[in-house]
Amino acid sequence: MRQATRAAGEIFLTLGVIGMLFIGYLIWGTAMRADSAQRQFTNELNEQWGQAPAGGGQARPEQFDVATGQPFAFIRIPAFGPHWQFTLIEGTALAQLDLSPGHVPDTQWPGQVGNFAVAGHRVTAGNPFWSLPSLRAGDLVYIQTKLNDYTYRVAGERMVLPTDLGVLDPVPGHPAQQPTQRLITLITCDPAWTGTHRVIVTGVLVSAKAR
Amino acid sequence: MYGWLWQRLPGGTAARTGTATVLILAAIAVLWFVVFPWASVHLPIDMTGVD
Repeated sequence: MRQATRAAGEIFLTLGVIGMLFIGYLIWGTAMRADSAQRQFTNELNEQWGQAPAGGGQARPEQFDVATGQPFAFIRIPAFGPHWQFTLIEGTALAQLDLSPGHVPDTQWPGQVGNFAVAGHRVTAGNPFWSLPSLRAGDLVYIQTKLNDYTYRVAGERMVLPTDLGVLDPVPGHPAQQPTQRLITLITCDPAWTGTHRVIVTGVLVSAKAR
Repeated sequence: MYGWLWQRLPGGTAARTGTATVLILAAIAVLWFVVFPWASVHLPIDMTGVD
């Protein structure tokens, strides 16, 4: 009896320690993996892009032909802090989101008429979109691509269910309408750590200049 | 359980301590690099995708 009690106690203690280790993994292990991926994507982009030609003028037309998992842009949101910057890669399956915020396939690309949709983890993988719900109308979102700098101004924020695919429409919520605006949609989950809802932040393009 | 394992480790206290440390680190490595990555994909944690 005493032996059985002791064995049970040891098993529960072991499970407790494993549970704490798992929480440590979710916070630091996934962040380390995402950090090293971010460094690699940043190097790849800098190599592919080379020296920027003299910028500042009108935006140059650009084509996006990006394979799943490949980087194509940087995103900066000064409201999240002066050093907050992530790469954007193509795709939003867990395999991509665990490394970097990603572009939702089949939505528009930066600067295009329609809806450029980006999803990122709220927690884990370096918590890229931890502060997304705190964005306010007027905050700026900068997207840098090979040729151009795009600036979007946050227009609004709302909460939807994960099944509400209308947020990805070129005119959000109106699948049949022809888009005229150039929008960005930033997506993460809410409440943090869960999958029950999504926070949707929408912005409008206010400037596009050659990089 | 741990007492039973400790009895079965060879050598004196120093050798046993060394072996036990290696075993614990190996167990943590398997958890960290194999079990946890698998579990984090299969548990409903931060399912951010819109689907």
